[in-house]
Amino acid sequence: MPVLVVPDKAKPLNIPIFQSRIPKPEELVVLDKPLLEATIEVGNLLKDCKAKWALAGDIGEILNGVNVQPDHITILTNVVGCEEISTKLKGFQVEASKLVETQIKRNAEIEPKPLPIMIKSYTSRFDLNGQRLNVHGDLRIKVGDWDWGDPLDYEPEYVYVVGVKVPVVPLELKTRLYRGLGWYDRVSKIHAAMARRHHKIV
Amino acid sequence: MPTVIQENPVEVVCLGVGFMSGVVATELALAGHSVVGITKGPYWDYVNDYSTTKYDEWGVGLGRKYDSPLPLQSTTIRNDSSQFALPVRRYTMPIQYHALGHGVGGAAQHYGGGMGRYGPWAYEMAKRTSSAYGSGFLASINPQDDTHDWPLTYAEYEPYYVEWEKAHGICGNYNGSPTNSQTDINYPWMSQNYPLPPHPMTPLAQLFQSTVQGMTAPNGQKYNPFPTVSALSSQPYTNQYGVAVNPCVYDGYCGGLCDYACETGAKANAAYRTIPAAIKSGHFTLVTNAYIYRLELSPSGNQVIAAHYYDAQGNDHRQPGTVFFNGMWGYNMIRLMLLSGLGTPYVYNSGTQSGTGTVGRGLTNGYTPIRGTNVSGTVNIGGNSYPAGNGSGGGVSVFDLMDDNFDHSSISPPFIGGGLFGAGGYLGGGPSNITFAGGVSAPNTANPNGAMGSSFKATQQNKYLQTKQVVSATPFAPDLPTLMNYIDLDPHYTDAYGDPVSRLTYDWTPNTYNGATYLVNQIKAILTQMGATSVTVGGAVAPYSYHNDWWGHHLRGGLRIGTDTNAGTATAWAALSGYNQLYYNSNTSGFNYFAAGEITNTTGNNATAGTHAAGPQSYRAAEGIKKYLANVAMNVNYLAS
Repeated sequence: MPVLVVPDKAKPLNIPIFQSRIPKPEELVVLDKPLLEATIEVGNLLKDCKAKWALAGDIGEILNGVNVQPDHITILTNVVGCEEISTKLKGFQVEASKLVETQIKRNAEIEPKPLPIMIKSYTSRFDLNGQRLNVHGDLRIKVGDWDWGDPLDYEPEYVYVVGVKVPVVPLELKTRLYRGLGWYDRVSKIHAAMARRHHKIV
Repeated sequence: MPTVIQENPVEVVCLGVGFMSGVVATELALAGHSVVGITKGPYWDYVNDYSTTKYDEWGVGLGRKYDSPLPLQSTTIRNDSSQFALPVRRYTMPIQYHALGHGVGGAAQHYGGGMGRYGPWAYEMAKRTSSAYGSGFLASINPQDDTHDWPLTYAEYEPYYVEWEKAHGICGNYNGSPTNSQTDINYPWMSQNYPLPPHPMTPLAQLFQSTVQGMTAPNGQKYNPFPTVSALSSQPYTNQYGVAVNPCVYDGYCGGLCDYACETGAKANAAYRTIPAAIKSGHFTLVTNAYIYRLELSPSGNQVIAAHYYDAQGNDHRQPGTVFFNGMWGYNMIRLMLLSGLGTPYVYNSGTQSGTGTVGRGLTNGYTPIRGTNVSGTVNIGGNSYPAGNGSGGGVSVFDLMDDNFDHSSISPPFIGGGLFGAGGYLGGGPSNITFAGGVSAPNTANPNGAMGSSFKATQQNKYLQTKQVVSATPFAPDLPTLMNYIDLDPHYTDAYGDPVSRLTYDWTPNTYNGATYLVNQIKAILTQMGATSVTVGGAVAPYSYHNDWWGHHLRGGLRIGTDTNAGTATAWAALSGYNQLYYNSNTSGFNYFAAGEITNTTGNNATAGTHAAGPQSYRAAEGIKKYLANVAMNVNYLAS
């Protein structure tokens, strides 16, 4: 049997050592597995969808490298898309499409006094193996007592999720939106992701 | 007497944290097992460590500042067992181009990202050659032949290939399909397409594709060109572990001579594909700047019970574990096992031309000889064809001159296999044009005035606004294992701590050169059909007329898997024979398998297909480790089959 021979020559070496900072878990952009699998399923089920649609919200951002942690899937589409998606995901639907007006949790931070943010959209809800999916058609935003904005429109960008090509809302639109709402922490997160991507400064 | 720092025991200890350990660590950590990964270099943050430091041709290309420091550890080299091996003391090109990786991600931090599966023939090279050309054929063309088949067939490895490609975001089309159609497969190798589309083709690649589509290959069928497979992300990507990946930015400082790291993380390696998920799992601990020097065995000698390493301050650590996965660089993996008394060392007897033992046996090379039969010509694209971009995308390749895809029976001189042939890659070429090929040089025989001053400047216009491109190839057929080529411990030279370094005994084998003699004429016909001018075939290079001068990262073998325990050292689960809880794999260039270089290149792209073929073994090992851990308490060998 070979005997363990310890050289007994442990010593600091006179060579350059690259200092190493191992990233903390919260610094790493990693999508949770259940949401990842649900996203792949949505991408496959909607791959032939004719209406314009894209992953929005936090899920759309993390797929573009933004360090956020989504807890559900959001799709942004129009009224036609809302109907088509409802048809394609019929087996998962828990709430049919209807016009919904609601106040979101976070206020706009553009004036000394926080302003409530209202959204209005044709909304349908789904459950994919325990993962929530909200679909918004013709989503409009209203800040405080201002007028309702036009329905959000965009040209989708595309990302690949384990081989499935899915559209996402452009980070440029998200940046403009966040700036308009005064959510500069979210703008910073997108800027950080773009800095790491390096080739497309928003 | 140094104090040994006792680390807490874990279930899995990964030695080295390159490509292969990345897979094993992540698979096991996500399954809930406690895992430690130990690597001698740092964790590289691609933004902070590379963005401002990589545009340094001298420091990166010649200083090799991202590579394993030679003062810490080197290797010695020689061409045959009668020579005195000399140590690699500095990184130079092309001789002694060592270029080993350092830190998390290993050498894949700065490779070209060339990928591509091995085909069914490569896994059964000996069996199929014997069947097609006679049982004595291999021995007749390869002196002291030591070729053996893999333990599993391609079909059995295929599911692991799929996982590997998903994890690392490999770009390409269904093999052999120019239209990316699943039903248009000329070589039915893939059950699923690559997860990312290929990179945009360069003008030269488009010309190559359209040309060969109209030509007849040696097998009597039309050539089947397809986009060259790459591990540089072509699109924003999220893999099966949920790790988000940035796409390539085509900055030109990429492959070159395997120099440049990627400042956006688009270059696939463990640091940016698998390890993030392992860290996020909460079950993985990463230890950097830690130099592993021994594996400790149990009193019975058939179990590894701990890894010993020094940290950057010289402290001595002992890391106990249940299972060990050796994912170090090839030389280091073999060296650590020899230093620790694991397995049976390979010993070659030149007098009897025979060998005994397995650890270190079967060293091969997967790279083109620096001096070999070659062909070159100049293609006029007509417009700006500057090919800078990334290291491996943008080209087009054909399989038709590879493996046994054509009849070898009447070819003289005889050989087996062939090469993946392609053209039009991006090269990542700007900086290498300046510093190496065609760059500044002192006066020499070929260029009495040197390439400095006005003569240097005159060459640069066509390098950056190219309308003409030189297309050249130094093709070669697989380098076959022989008893003469191997790795052992050097009796004279040591590392910084006084332990023997590895000694490589290697020279090119005849199959390498004999294949070139045939292939070069096939490529010449293609270049001529492409409209190239001044198509010239370099003089035939006879076997053993030149000696190996490439000691770098494309060397393979030395710890082979196989069913023949007299020749190989690992089971089909990649566990060391006799040590069911020590698994191993290579972190680059497919170090522990038989199939040799199937890669040639026409554009200077390094093809790292060996890594692609090694990848499935890491998944296989991860599966084996899971099985072992699930049953270890029952003391039953579930890996016997």
